Amino acid sequence: MKKYWSYIGLLFLVLLLAACGSENEGEQKESSNGEGSSEQETRVIEHEMGETEISGQPEKVVALEFSFVDNLASLGVSPVGIADDNDEARIIEPIREKIDDYTSVGTRKQPSLEVISSLQPDLIIADMQRHKDIYDQLSEIAPTIILPSLAADYDGIIDSFQTVSKAVGMEEHGEEVLTEHKETMEELRSQVPEDEDRTVLPAVVADSGYFAHNMESYTGSLLESIGLKNAIQSGDDRYNKINLEQLVEFDPDVMFHMSSGDQTVVTEWEGSELYRDISAVKNGEVHEVDRNMWSRFRGLISSEKILEDAVQYLYEGQ
Amino acid sequence: MNPLIRTPKRWLGMLLMLLLVMTYLSIGIGAVWIGPAGIFEYIIGKEASGQAYIIENFRLPRIVVGLLAGTGLGLSGAILQGVIRNPLASPDVIGITKGAGLAAAAVILLYPGLPVLALPAAAFSGAALVMLGLYVFAFRRGVQPATLALIGIALGAVCQAGIQFLTIKFPLETNAALVWLTGSVWGKDWTDVLMLVPFILIGAPAAWLLSRKLDVLNLGDDVAEGLGEPVQKARLSLLALAVVLAGASVAVVGTLGFVGLIAPHIARQMVGNRHVYLLPASALTGALLLVTADSLGRGLFPPTEVPAGIFTAVIGAPYFLFLLRKIQKS
Amino acid sequence: MNQTLHRFKTGTVIVVGILLLLASFTASLSIGAYAISFSEVLSLLFSPDGSKASSIIDTIRLPRAVTGIVIGMCLAAAGAIMQAITNNPLASPQVFGVNAGASLMVVIGVVLFPGLGAGTLVYGAFLGAAVGGAAVYYMASTGGGMTPVKLALSGITIHLLLSSMIEGIVLFHETSTEDVLFWLAGGIDGRTWTDVNLLLPWAAVGLAGAGILGKPLTTLGLGDDVAQGLGQKIGWIRGGAALLVVVLAGISVAVAGPIGFIGLIIPNIIRKLLGPDYRILLPVSALYGAVLLTSADVLSRFISYPGEAPVGIVTALIGAPFFLYLAGRGGRNG
Repeated sequence: MKKYWSYIGLLFLVLLLAACGSENEGEQKESSNGEGSSEQETRVIEHEMGETEISGQPEKVVALEFSFVDNLASLGVSPVGIADDNDEARIIEPIREKIDDYTSVGTRKQPSLEVISSLQPDLIIADMQRHKDIYDQLSEIAPTIILPSLAADYDGIIDSFQTVSKAVGMEEHGEEVLTEHKETMEELRSQVPEDEDRTVLPAVVADSGYFAHNMESYTGSLLESIGLKNAIQSGDDRYNKINLEQLVEFDPDVMFHMSSGDQTVVTEWEGSELYRDISAVKNGEVHEVDRNMWSRFRGLISSEKILEDAVQYLYEGQ
Repeated sequence: MNPLIRTPKRWLGMLLMLLLVMTYLSIGIGAVWIGPAGIFEYIIGKEASGQAYIIENFRLPRIVVGLLAGTGLGLSGAILQGVIRNPLASPDVIGITKGAGLAAAAVILLYPGLPVLALPAAAFSGAALVMLGLYVFAFRRGVQPATLALIGIALGAVCQAGIQFLTIKFPLETNAALVWLTGSVWGKDWTDVLMLVPFILIGAPAAWLLSRKLDVLNLGDDVAEGLGEPVQKARLSLLALAVVLAGASVAVVGTLGFVGLIAPHIARQMVGNRHVYLLPASALTGALLLVTADSLGRGLFPPTEVPAGIFTAVIGAPYFLFLLRKIQKS
Repeated sequence: MNQTLHRFKTGTVIVVGILLLLASFTASLSIGAYAISFSEVLSLLFSPDGSKASSIIDTIRLPRAVTGIVIGMCLAAAGAIMQAITNNPLASPQVFGVNAGASLMVVIGVVLFPGLGAGTLVYGAFLGAAVGGAAVYYMASTGGGMTPVKLALSGITIHLLLSSMIEGIVLFHETSTEDVLFWLAGGIDGRTWTDVNLLLPWAAVGLAGAGILGKPLTTLGLGDDVAQGLGQKIGWIRGGAALLVVVLAGISVAVAGPIGFIGLIIPNIIRKLLGPDYRILLPVSALYGAVLLTSADVLSRFISYPGEAPVGIVTALIGAPFFLYLAGRGGRNG
């Protein structure tokens, strides 16, 4: 009967672990709440997963998506931990300049909860799509807010910037930064002539295809906000894999290519009469841009940089 | 005669020991290393360096989920191989996990705003729907193990087509779904443990009690009926049990492959074909596989977390080649 | 009388097939983001006039349609040959792990060694196809005879194994996720004359070989003993046929990715219509394979308009239920 008892033994062990674990969980929650309430001022932040109370001015912030790093950098807050996919080079230059050294907490897909908790943060900012499921655990480590990043357009980015500035207790400073940002954007917009009627098309160009970003995508909506009309005004998907014939049909006047790799479909297309006939190609308005900056970061700093790039290519090159 | 086959009880004891050691070591493995001595201090309640929090909130729930899901998948595979009378049957192969995967992909990609609990609920329903499909297409024709396997594979193919359609339609959001589709115990907490415990606590002993039925079914339909076993009914109840065990496990850890296929094979090498030993051995092996895979995923490239599903496949591949050679020789 | 009836039936199936192929070919040239009418297609096809419509047909749609036709033929022929040598209606490049093996090698090539050209990748695909197919063959044929169930179980197991390796590679290279996902579904959009040039010689060798094998394969269908009695060298036939499958399926995967189910559906339908004479079954299957892939490709242009959906999605959505139907019959012939 030995195997019988060993099996029961295993189940018993499991039960025991489960029981003692849930007990500890309760204790932990209380203690972290206890610490928090000793501070003076308490704010309630509304976000995608409900409301979170934050008190004082968080000093150790962990950001689990690049756009939040951008938000924090704009506010002059340097995060202690970033989910940078274990690759520091993914953080674009203008932002890396603004932040101090940080600890990598792993990939954005599966950030290491252990590392996050060992940093003892007092605020965690996470993404709706990627981190919804671990909200409870993050909340036990520190007050956590969940914001849309992966699925957001430009307006959504502005909203989450405001939420972030409220969360780090810098609402006023945030407003200043935002005003400044809007001025910069306004200035950039003023460089775009009223009668600008050229259409633009940002796209990720890879070996396996041409992925066009339409007017609702992040980059597309950003360009539209300063009066640059996207060449694709239809389709229920923000990112579309299109072929040469569709590109010919959309006939953009300006193309921004975020290339991945040297060998892409475009290298192949360049030999074709049809490709050379597209307005953008004919007018020499095909521009290579940094993929990291143009599509991976979504925030105030990178928005400005993207538009600066765009305006420079469109109007200063002449 | 292989001398090892004669001592299945000793093998079970060894497996249990191995599992306990692995579990113990696994508590220490991760981005923050804790030595065996440190773990012991924690267990007797004298841990002082502040790692108790990490152990209690991140390591232990993961490990326990791994143990439970490994048990569920291993058992489910052993039952299915018995019912279908083919050593290649497993929850991945006959479409159960694919059904769960399709439902989960639909929730992740189409309704990202749903509450967190919607995902396991949908995954479990997906697995149940495949079971319903198996019933409708296979059982009404007087179920033969062969028909069951073929229908399962075909239903799996239908679900796979659906998953592929969704991932292509939503390429950007797919990154979030991909982790789930690979299967991982990352980020599991005590809530997940509580969700899984009742299924395994009821399902595992139930399977063990039914082990005689599996032995009888293995003798072939005629013999089984001669022994007074209602074959159809036994098959249906065992299949339902396998779906519940696999469905609950997959609902929590995602469509983690190969544990259900390989665990019973390894177990069979040790304890032979009698299900009274084979089932507990498969459960222990499944748990061992998953806990090992997760420890590797956590410990190899910190702070990067590698989904356990990748390692179960990596462990599964060489074992399969080994199995292939063995079959060829015989 | 019966003979005449059968001949009439065969003739009808072939004529209908040719008509369907012409129709889907024309539709494939006409339908797309840039609208070109049927009559325009016909006149531009024979007398290109350098207009935009004309060059769209010449440089984009024509190579795509030709790729579709050739790969449809290759996949259907590969499926028919596999069903003949295993005497098993479920045999097909996809069920047999041939597609998955070739895919794994191509994904490894594309992601880990981005410098390799398409010409080199083809050999990788051949190797992968051979290894995947051999693994499934050995697993399925052990323990006395290859039943449909054993084949399907071995095939799906190897398929799962290979695809989880692919998944692992994809997870570690997030930048290429979208690329690889699209490729893995299998598609012929954006294929150029370069691809056609790569495809044609291999396909020609494979299809010609299949034509030669028609008679011996039919004899093989009578059972190994009878075939041996008739003076056939069974080992040579099987080996040659397997080689052809590797070439036909491997080149298809290398050019278009793993497009599924064509090799499964078409030969089964044709066998039901015309019987198991592979001298007829093989070419007619190839014809209808071309019809299926070309029309599925036309349908795929509507799935995520204005974007492109890979044609493999369409064949999977059609093929998986057909697989279910075959499975419901216990995988029996006819």
